[in-house]
Amino acid sequence: MAGDIFSIALLSLFVSATSTLLATLIAVPLGVTLGLREFGSQRLLRNILFTLYGLPPVLAGLLVFLLLSRSGPLGALGLLFTPVGMVIAQVVVVTPIILGITMSVVATMERRVKETAFVLGADRRQLSVTVLREAVAGILTAVMVGFGRAVGEVGAVFVVGGHIEGKTQVLTTSIITDIQQADYGHAVALGVILLVIAALVYSLLYRLQEKTLP
Amino acid sequence: MTMSVDLMGIEKGFDGRPVLQGVDLRVEPGEVFALVGPSGVGKTTLLRCIDFLLRPDRGTIRYDGKEAPSDTSGQLALRRRIGMVAQNPFLFRGSAFYNVSYGLCVRDVGGPALEERTNAALDTVGLRDLSQAPVSRLSAGEAQRVAFARAIVVGPELLLLDEFTANLDPANVAQLEKAIGAYHRQTDATVLIVTHNLFQAKRVSRRAGLVLGGKIVEVDTADRFFSNPTDERTRAFVRGEMPY
Amino acid sequence: MHFRFASRWTAILIATAVTLLAVGAYLSLPRSYILMATTTSTRDTGLLPYLLPRFTADTGIDVRYIAVGTGQALDAGRRGDADVVMVHAPSLEARFLADGDGLCRNEVMYNRFVVVGPAADPADVRDAQSAAGAFQRIHNASARFESRADTSGTHNKELQLWAAAGLDTSAFGAWYEKTEQGMGATLTIANERDAYTLSDDGTWYALEGNLPYLRILYRSGEPVEPVLRNQYSVIPVNPAAHSAVLAEEAVAFARWLVSPRGQSLIGAFTVNGHAIFTPNGAGAC
Repeated sequence: MAGDIFSIALLSLFVSATSTLLATLIAVPLGVTLGLREFGSQRLLRNILFTLYGLPPVLAGLLVFLLLSRSGPLGALGLLFTPVGMVIAQVVVVTPIILGITMSVVATMERRVKETAFVLGADRRQLSVTVLREAVAGILTAVMVGFGRAVGEVGAVFVVGGHIEGKTQVLTTSIITDIQQADYGHAVALGVILLVIAALVYSLLYRLQEKTLP
Repeated sequence: MTMSVDLMGIEKGFDGRPVLQGVDLRVEPGEVFALVGPSGVGKTTLLRCIDFLLRPDRGTIRYDGKEAPSDTSGQLALRRRIGMVAQNPFLFRGSAFYNVSYGLCVRDVGGPALEERTNAALDTVGLRDLSQAPVSRLSAGEAQRVAFARAIVVGPELLLLDEFTANLDPANVAQLEKAIGAYHRQTDATVLIVTHNLFQAKRVSRRAGLVLGGKIVEVDTADRFFSNPTDERTRAFVRGEMPY
Repeated sequence: MHFRFASRWTAILIATAVTLLAVGAYLSLPRSYILMATTTSTRDTGLLPYLLPRFTADTGIDVRYIAVGTGQALDAGRRGDADVVMVHAPSLEARFLADGDGLCRNEVMYNRFVVVGPAADPADVRDAQSAAGAFQRIHNASARFESRADTSGTHNKELQLWAAAGLDTSAFGAWYEKTEQGMGATLTIANERDAYTLSDDGTWYALEGNLPYLRILYRSGEPVEPVLRNQYSVIPVNPAAHSAVLAEEAVAFARWLVSPRGQSLIGAFTVNGHAIFTPNGAGAC
């Protein structure tokens, strides 16, 4: 199979980690703000979000593809079939997941947390930060789930990345092409590498999460 | 600095069930006032109305004779002059020190001033040596003391205490009552303490009031209230003859 | 104190994100290579890793490619996402040029289509006298057949052969299965299901080792039956619609492929010992 396994694995890690980080920066502040809102306005938003949970990554990939194609609105950026394009596609996939879980964690947080901060004189911004701090264990879970989605998905990165040798080949797309060429042994080996990478990232995040438990 | 509180015609209900049905009460600046009454009568609701956790359905509350400002920053400023300790307080994750210093952080106090004041508050409740202990390792009594220190470290002019020694053993109760007294002497703050412990009420307060049927039934000096009250309901209550 | 801690963490995360994006931008820099859109069949023969580095060595132009279905490859050219297209579907190529999406067209090489099937050969394809005849036998025996059904060049060829045998695929029974996938995947399925299929010999020889239950049951004699020719052509994309297309380099590539140098390399290329491509370079680029 063409392509250096090391650089393929490295690109997988780079794309998934970058997209998870960006999705976290977008989704967590938004999730805390929305989770703190009163219940009425939340229902419609929740429905939209939960529908997005079911958004097939390959569909997200198609939408980003149409966006980044030279014939598309953002074509001038020349990001189709590039790593940044793949990151963008995965951000679309991962953000709803982190957003939804963060919202749930914050909304179901004990009323007493918000009230205690309130009574001690926190303004809105300080209250959000305090709630975020108290919810950080749940938020880290959201990040772990998001990363899992990113590192394991193949539809979006295939459509937007194009699996170009030396440029946009990642573990999951390589597994698919291996299967297409009946190179099953190699496919399984790549799969094991992917699992190892995921396990390493998870153990790191888990260690972080343990530190945040009371 | 201290503050007076005037409650006028406060009404509050939940899901159609009326709780407060026209509460009138004046708490003088700098006094320690005990609010007593059976469980579920609305004492906690009253405190939560005073501290902006609940909005009364009817009636007004005046702080130093003025109603609460309508703008957010004005309300925030007023809120920051009021402190409250609840019965089962929530402690933020982290150390006792983090919790006690929280109010100071919120008010942008930092550096040596923060450390000094936090340690002083911890001293008041006798927990200086546990300041770095994680809150999960604290006993109920220690947790309550941390909550108290957390409330007073910012020097509230009005301190609301909601049955906050209800679950504690006598030693902790005594310590906290001592701390209330110390704080009150230092700052001359107004203290409104809700309690069902009549002995406690007698120990700490100067005046007391009975809440019954959603209204204030009788208010008097502590001496007269507990030994020779006017109203027969009060009499029944202080004698322990009122069913809970 | 506490809130400064939060600000510090936010700053660290944002700084990390910006750094990673900068790295990403560097990796995604404006292309220094021409991008070719080609088919999975081209990739599966293994020709490209052999040919492209030699082109780069000769001209200094770097070529990368995406291997997708024929339809998507031509669409990539139409959208301006690729600089040059290499497919093997003459009728679709003609339309591509007629629509003004292609600049010019060079025929490069051809390999052959073969009929592969289970070793036991229940439809007796071995005795067929022509490709259409082989298909006729498969139909008469209602033997399981895998169709790519993906508008690829191979699929078009398959439909041509059914038509030549006077048969209407819409009337076929359950023995006619549609995989809607590439050649490699379709061969794998045929191998698992003891089915017949039409394949190009390049992909077949490349994957033969993994297809133990299949054999070539019908192949053309010499000279090659025209209908079994799998003609590959290269078409630089027309820069008129998309100015970012690297037309000059794409044309250089098209010319190189039909040059004596390119053609001899193609003729020398073998898959597992089989020289599958017949160079027949010609064209206007």
